[in-house]
Amino acid sequence: MQTNSSSADSDLQADNLRRAAIDKSVKGPVLFLFLNGAFWLMASTILGVLAAVKLFAPSFLGDCPVLQFGRLQPTHLNALVYGWGIQAGLGVMLWLMARRSGQELKSGKSLLYVAGVFWNIAITLGLLSILFGGNTSMQWLEMPRWVWPILLVSFLTFAWPMVNMFARAFRPEGFMVSSWYVLGACFWFPWIFITANVCLHCIPSLGALGAGINAWYVHGLILLFFTPVALGSAYYFIPKITGQPIASAELAKLGFWALAILGGWTGMQAYMGGPLPAWMPSVGALTGTLLLIPVGVVGLNHHLTTLGKHNLVATSPTLRFTFLGALFYPISGLILVLLSNYTTGATLQFTHASYGFQIVAVYGFFSMSVFGAIYYIVPRLSGCEWLSVRLIRNHFWFSTYGIATIVVTSLVAGVQQGGDLNAPEMWDQDFMQLALNARPYIIARALAWTLITWSNIWFLIHLMLMVAGLGRRSSAPTLLHSAHDDTPHAAHA
Amino acid sequence: MSAPSQSFQPDSTDLDRLHAAVKREKQDMQAGREPVPMLVIFLGMIVAIIGGGQLGVMAGGWSFNTSNPFNFAAAPDPRPADKNPNAGSDPFQTAMKKGASGYAVCGGCHQGNGMGIPGQFPPLAGSEWVLGGTERLIRVTQHGLTGAITVKGQGYNTPGGMMPFGAAMSAGDLANVLTYIRNTWGNEATMVTKEMVEKVRSEEKRATQWTEADLAPFKDKNVPGEIPAGPGATAAAAPAAK
Repeated sequence: MQTNSSSADSDLQADNLRRAAIDKSVKGPVLFLFLNGAFWLMASTILGVLAAVKLFAPSFLGDCPVLQFGRLQPTHLNALVYGWGIQAGLGVMLWLMARRSGQELKSGKSLLYVAGVFWNIAITLGLLSILFGGNTSMQWLEMPRWVWPILLVSFLTFAWPMVNMFARAFRPEGFMVSSWYVLGACFWFPWIFITANVCLHCIPSLGALGAGINAWYVHGLILLFFTPVALGSAYYFIPKITGQPIASAELAKLGFWALAILGGWTGMQAYMGGPLPAWMPSVGALTGTLLLIPVGVVGLNHHLTTLGKHNLVATSPTLRFTFLGALFYPISGLILVLLSNYTTGATLQFTHASYGFQIVAVYGFFSMSVFGAIYYIVPRLSGCEWLSVRLIRNHFWFSTYGIATIVVTSLVAGVQQGGDLNAPEMWDQDFMQLALNARPYIIARALAWTLITWSNIWFLIHLMLMVAGLGRRSSAPTLLHSAHDDTPHAAHA
Repeated sequence: MSAPSQSFQPDSTDLDRLHAAVKREKQDMQAGREPVPMLVIFLGMIVAIIGGGQLGVMAGGWSFNTSNPFNFAAAPDPRPADKNPNAGSDPFQTAMKKGASGYAVCGGCHQGNGMGIPGQFPPLAGSEWVLGGTERLIRVTQHGLTGAITVKGQGYNTPGGMMPFGAAMSAGDLANVLTYIRNTWGNEATMVTKEMVEKVRSEEKRATQWTEADLAPFKDKNVPGEIPAGPGATAAAAPAAK
């Protein structure tokens, strides 16, 4: 494409200026969220390494109670979910919604900064409380109970302008696929977050049902927040970069509504066979399986959209990350089915496999898609281009191999652990011995988190330089050329 | 990779460059109108059928009082009515059940009917080696036996003798198998407990197989210990089974 604008007609010129103005209006809050998110991501991966090492070498780091597995592991996951996941997700949502609605962020920017600062302070104090023994021992809700109202209000502060943008936008039919998902995430997160927290913190003596609600919350957060944000991002960036329209508006609709309807019903199957009314896990197992429908439909739609454009995956960092993230969606869906149904779930429940599912969903699927979005959005906001192709490649490959290792080893460890625990001929075996047998997989997990930490340290430095405006001063995008690719820069970054 | 532009000023007024990223974007497009393929509907139905299988009987009759999907008709307590519900299961019956599956190791030579193979493998049914002193029986299975022996008046001299199969089992497993062979095929004798096997194991650390002559002193010796149930029970476990 010509960098000279003299040939462009005035319509295109106006459109370019409008989009540049939108980018400028959301620049501050979005970069704030990305930068803080990337910081928490790095913290989370370092904690992931430490927690995994503590699991196979308990004497590592000594006897200090702060640095034991029981405290490191929830801190690691909470930093990943709230510090990185929701924060970076909000950044992507805000930019996507502004762009797709064609609306500038008119006012209330300072309020967004305040909300962002409160979000981060709450998480900092919450994670420190976990480390110093204030763990509530509820999965993904380990932070003390005073944290959640702060997080909720901060989230709503961000969701409000997005909903407003959507309300003001011109909405032609079949044109708003990514907006639906972002809008959905704006409403679904408060719903599951309020429900789970009110039930678990404010209603006394729930008994076993509390554990079920907790599992429902974890699945709800994955399926009704992380999934829609990642899908909204993929539905926006895949057509944007390949230049192909989304293959089918019908499939997109089907995938969206099926997820919307089924996403909130699953989770309690984590306690199949447990002391809950039997129909609760049973309904969770049903919807966990039925979710294959939206998963397959969205996968098919992405496949049809990218047909014949796969060479762009080699050059565009955004498309490469988004593509891999989109590929992890069916994978995480299949893993959910394995964990959900009564045949394989009986073996996999309460094993390392559930950690594998959480990581494939939050890191493999969601984070990879969000990395793709960040590689696209940040150059537009900071006015400079990514500095180094090598750093992006490094980020991609280390993350990919790291995540693949964690997911595969967690699943295999889960099969072995669950199979051993359930096998009748193992009835007189020592439980500790069965736990120790998973050791090689935990060592692999520690190594994988180390690879990911390495990639994230460089990602954070790269992002910090970009936000500081120290990127490349160029009008050409930073593309991942393969050695034999001599075609001129296409317009796909 | 094109060379960076000459301007390195952050406050550059080079609008072309500042808006370059926006300018090179492709336009947003209307999504395609492809209908949903029939295959998707078909595969969706298969998924729904598999999913339905998770519901059916697993829903436990949709009752709030049922957590066990296999038992929603509130089946009665399967334990015998004359039994004290606080007592555990009868240790003798448990040992017999577990021993029956453990006997698979022995059945290869001694056969499922405990009759052995004449001339090759001695019988267990009615054998004085099985019904006699538990001390000798445990030692044979724990350490093995070789050389010529006499069982029920017949001479046997299998090459290699009997391997120390018991050494590879846990004390409990071995005790269950011994209880089983002492009380099957018309045999009836006291049960062998885990504690008895452990006692022999701690006293005797030999690494070679026994011979008949070595074992002669243990011929009629029983390992001391409580016999919780079954023939010749000595323990106070019986009242529990009232």
